[in-house]
Amino acid sequence: MSTHAASVSTPLVAPASPASSANKALVIGAAGLALTAIGVVVSSDAHGVAMSYLVGVTYWTAITIGMLMLTLIHHIVDASWSVVIRRQWEHWLAAFKWLFVLFLPLLVFAWLKPGFVWPWMDLNHELHGHGTVGTDVLYQKKAGFLNLNMFTGMTLAFFGIWVWVSARLRKASFAQDADGDVKWTFMNRKTAAFGLPLGALTLTFAAIYWVKSLEYHWFSTMYGVWFFANCVRGALSISVLIMLWLWARGDYKGVLNTNHLYSAGQLVFAFTVFWAYVTFSQYFLIWNANVPEETFWYNLRELNHDGTTNQWKWVGMLILFGHFFVPFLYLLSYKHKVVHAKVRPIVIWILGIILVDMCYNILPVLKDEHGDSLPFLSVNLVWVLTSVAGVGGVCVWAYLRSFPSTKLIPIRDPRIGESLTHHE
Amino acid sequence: MAHAEHAVATPAILNEVKPAVLPRAVLVENNRSFSWITEKICGIIEGKTPAWWWVCFCIACLIACFTVGGITYLVSTGVGVWGHANPVNWAWDIVNFVFWIGIGHAGTLISAILCLLRQKWRTSINRAAEAMTIFAVVCAAIFPVFHVGRVWYAWYLFPIPNSNYIWQNFRSPLEWDVFAVSTYGTVSVLFWYVGLLPDLATLRDRFEAAGNKLRSFLYGLFAMGWRGSNRHWSNYEMAYLILAGISTPLVLSVHTIVSFDFAVSLLPGWHTTIFPPYFVAGAIFSGFGMVLTLMLPLRAIYKLEDLITQYHIDCMCKITLATGTIVGYAYAMEFFIAWYGANPYEGFTFINRAFGPYAWAYWIMISCNVITPQFFWFRKVRENTTMVWVLSIFVNVGMWFERFVIIVTSLARDFLPSSWGYYSPSVVEIFTFFGTFGVFSVLFLLFIRFLPIMPMAELKAVTPQADPHAGHDHH
Repeated sequence: MSTHAASVSTPLVAPASPASSANKALVIGAAGLALTAIGVVVSSDAHGVAMSYLVGVTYWTAITIGMLMLTLIHHIVDASWSVVIRRQWEHWLAAFKWLFVLFLPLLVFAWLKPGFVWPWMDLNHELHGHGTVGTDVLYQKKAGFLNLNMFTGMTLAFFGIWVWVSARLRKASFAQDADGDVKWTFMNRKTAAFGLPLGALTLTFAAIYWVKSLEYHWFSTMYGVWFFANCVRGALSISVLIMLWLWARGDYKGVLNTNHLYSAGQLVFAFTVFWAYVTFSQYFLIWNANVPEETFWYNLRELNHDGTTNQWKWVGMLILFGHFFVPFLYLLSYKHKVVHAKVRPIVIWILGIILVDMCYNILPVLKDEHGDSLPFLSVNLVWVLTSVAGVGGVCVWAYLRSFPSTKLIPIRDPRIGESLTHHE
Repeated sequence: MAHAEHAVATPAILNEVKPAVLPRAVLVENNRSFSWITEKICGIIEGKTPAWWWVCFCIACLIACFTVGGITYLVSTGVGVWGHANPVNWAWDIVNFVFWIGIGHAGTLISAILCLLRQKWRTSINRAAEAMTIFAVVCAAIFPVFHVGRVWYAWYLFPIPNSNYIWQNFRSPLEWDVFAVSTYGTVSVLFWYVGLLPDLATLRDRFEAAGNKLRSFLYGLFAMGWRGSNRHWSNYEMAYLILAGISTPLVLSVHTIVSFDFAVSLLPGWHTTIFPPYFVAGAIFSGFGMVLTLMLPLRAIYKLEDLITQYHIDCMCKITLATGTIVGYAYAMEFFIAWYGANPYEGFTFINRAFGPYAWAYWIMISCNVITPQFFWFRKVRENTTMVWVLSIFVNVGMWFERFVIIVTSLARDFLPSSWGYYSPSVVEIFTFFGTFGVFSVLFLLFIRFLPIMPMAELKAVTPQADPHAGHDHH
């Protein structure tokens, strides 16, 4: 790859439509969703399938939130190097409305069959050795927040805000391609100014409602920060894959240079450290205090009721090494950030390990008659894969559908010159 | 605000598509030359000591005497002269320690992180921010060192092998603080000193030319033989980058450990998982607050408007706004989770903070740390330096109160209502803390007088004329 973008011609026109790729993504998405739907109907553990579906939806929503946050941060700090990548983030934001549609089945289940996904929604849900949710004093204290109406209203609000903020960002950016007016840059800065606090609050409460409340006895003030770290890290990894794909297609030739990949790789590295910092702090403070009302969440992910270790302990170890040590050590190298064949595997690995992290946070809520978490390597993993493929296929399709609708890069962005000549 | 006409070289295609035009602000205004920058910064040191400096120095020395008096009285009498009593046995000492160490962390954090992020605007503020760090760490160290009571035993904190069969409690974050802060202090001094080398050499040469042999010798001694050769610059750049790389995780770890002082406990209001990043955000917030407090008067007195431009003030205000909002997020999350966690003690602690006997302190904290920075949304406020300076004072006040609220409210009313109390500081504590501002000011005034307050070499590198592409198309 060249180190300077000396000649740029492709951005003048909209890129060729990747229609066949979009169709393939849609087929994969539809197949994954169909298989998951079949699983709900035919599986003896429909609850497990639904939880797996929650993993899939949360995983891709997290990545899309990450794209949104990156776009907002880009505008608020008046960044330059990332201008040539920003358009791809904007295309990805088209997935929000489809993610909302894909979240609807969970909401429908929440209303038609309370407790099917989130146990606290069913007041008659049996707590192992502690009566039912309805008689649980801890639930009663939280009922003002954890109730179906609030859950539904907040979820609608989350998606409403994400779709609205995304639409504003896309509209202004695309419009600037046509008229080159700097007012669109200012509009996006304003959107970023209010969008960032809104994004922080919505992603925090989405993480609390969708994931943390699965074990509603448990609490941690760090949870929103942990979710944010995964969101951005996932989005950056997808961004690198998109950069490599567009380079391979020829679209990014003359646009992208080594330094863009290096900067993106540095951000992946930084968020690797940030994720580890946040996750370690949460774990360490809970482990050190050793208060049962907090430690039970981690104990569930390590021990069975008889004191034997379960599979989740090893998943935890996988996360410790795979989420931090492997990418941290690997990405220390300059070459591993810029050589296509070297950076590709690590971002794919990171995307995989984020999925494992989501599973670690969601799936242990599935328990046997003793209250022990069902093993990680079980039939549920199949439904996780179908769900991830299904929701992911739709997201990729939404991205590819938006992709040919405008120019490859924001060619009239005031910082485009700095971005095209990005150097260390 | 001035703007660069051609900040970067542009690919030919952009002449065809005509992108929107939004020039970046220049970092040195009025097209100042290299020699002007040298004269301006060196002139502060070389010129006659201004009267205001002597006035401020004398006042600062007088104020510092309060600390000297306070700790002298403490050492000669005992720690009982502080206002500590059950249930609050940890109050202004640790509050003041965290306050100063927060400011101390922020300086290097600002400088190192902005360096790694290639934020060129840092050049106008980084030297003073780093100096601020070192002086603040000195002030911070006073409190734990003298809190041990018999200060001549303070060395027990260090695990000197087998000395008197003392075995330090390595499980205590306070012991971690000893290692973390001392390591941090050392690296901060190195970071600051390495950055000073080229400028010390400049001063050496200028004093030599002016015939002042003593000052030439002293600056030359500390310039370590700097001659500005290509090899020197190459080594310098690498050393500076490495130190920035070391400083960044170190400074994050230090303030994280300071947050662990509280978060590892089981006390309601202290044991919360968000403390580490929340403390780090608070440190950056208070650091920028203090940098604004210090730099704005300097800018006015020495007429440094071309070097500390409105753009610099804008950037600092915006970071203060962002970090203040992050701190606000952490306050809100603590409050929410205190309710959501449904632990009655935790819930009570936060209600007690907001509506209990220390409510006045809590609302000062909220007003200063969450509401005050919101004024920085408005350009008119950011462009009014008096207003910015006043708001920066509020930020400093608010960050002191944050530590007071966290520490004292949780201790004053813990699990047993029968042991509740109300803490008030003694006169000795007030004097000791008040005096630290004098200690800090004395050191900072000496810094202004004898060392270049801005990195001249780095400033020259960010002027428009230093840009090799300036005014030319890319080729």
